[in-house]
Amino acid sequence: MTEINPNPNLSARIVPNPTLRQLFLGMLQVAISAFGGGLSAWSQRIVVEQRHWMTNEQFLAGLTVARLFPGPNQINMAVYIGASFRGLSGALVALAGMLLVPFTLLMMVGLLYFSFHELPLLDRILAGVVAAAAGMALSMGFRILDTYWRDPMALLLATATFLAMAVAHWRLVPVVLVIGPLAMAWYWPRHPASPTPEEHS
Amino acid sequence: MIAANGFQALFPLFAAVVPAESVCEPMRLNDLGNLLQVISTFLGLSLFALGGGNTLITEYHHISVDQYCWLTPTQFADLYALAEAAPGPSSMLVGLLGMGAAWREGPFWALVSAYGAELAILLPSTLLMVVACLRWNKMRNSPWRIAFERGLGPITLGILFAVGYKILVLADKNPVALAISLVVCVLMLRSRLSPLWFMAIAGLLGGLGMVSR
Repeated sequence: MTEINPNPNLSARIVPNPTLRQLFLGMLQVAISAFGGGLSAWSQRIVVEQRHWMTNEQFLAGLTVARLFPGPNQINMAVYIGASFRGLSGALVALAGMLLVPFTLLMMVGLLYFSFHELPLLDRILAGVVAAAAGMALSMGFRILDTYWRDPMALLLATATFLAMAVAHWRLVPVVLVIGPLAMAWYWPRHPASPTPEEHS
Repeated sequence: MIAANGFQALFPLFAAVVPAESVCEPMRLNDLGNLLQVISTFLGLSLFALGGGNTLITEYHHISVDQYCWLTPTQFADLYALAEAAPGPSSMLVGLLGMGAAWREGPFWALVSAYGAELAILLPSTLLMVVACLRWNKMRNSPWRIAFERGLGPITLGILFAVGYKILVLADKNPVALAISLVVCVLMLRSRLSPLWFMAIAGLLGGLGMVSR
């Protein structure tokens, strides 16, 4: 996984307001460049360093918003970029550019899968691939565990959430609606004006 | 088969959670009422996609395997792996679920359903994101935003562990598969190798017949 570069080589030149067509092509370029992975780093490279649509600060602020709000982070980032320049239509065009090629490819993979998944060889290969994918899924939680390691309340909330879902088989929506408000009350800022430390992470 | 049963006897927790292969009648999507119900399910879930969307995976499993019986548990695990392996955001899994939902009606309807499901899961979060982008300066110092960001982080952590556990239970029916998963998990955290390598090597092991299920 490629990390976001905090200090890329920047020229001061900012080209304002890409057109809808440019937004579409820019996001298409991001999606195709990122075929080997590192979507986030590619979108920074293309939007900030190559096309100069945003400064790096603007890009990182957008990434903060994209991570905060619900939805896939990279798709939210494309929507943020599109909406910053061209409002709703910009957002939809950027989204289409981001998804067109990978989604079409995935659909072809899906058609092949549903046509041929009963072949014994393919089933055996998939058994292995699925085991690897399960390991990737398991790593997602460990990846962000460090952030909360020193906060006993966070670990308590995380444990309660895990037990509710994995042991008590609660569905996601009730879990979020019950534990979410409790967590928000606990973390309600005592000094509302103070900036959060993770603002520019 | 004996090895698998022995494995489940050793880990009764696993056996208890593994759902039986579903026998319920798959819901048909050529009924307009059913289609609208499915679309509204995905529309309603969109705004619960905390922490980048992977938090919805247990919910996707519930909908497509337990509730509507579009997929067997094995197919769900396969599609999850394909979405992870394919280039692009892994949340495109929803498109594959939509495809599975309508596969019995033929490839054309499968594609229509795939695009419909993906649009339904993305539309609400996209609209919210547009509003967020345009009004961010007013929102950023609101106590609601700060409490939301700090409070929902630990919940996301708990959900991601529940998702990892769920996929593990779905995928690993024998000790070899479990060992592969644990090794991949450690390598994901400790190395910078592309996950595609892990999937390719595990796929090779599977192709050689070393990972039965």
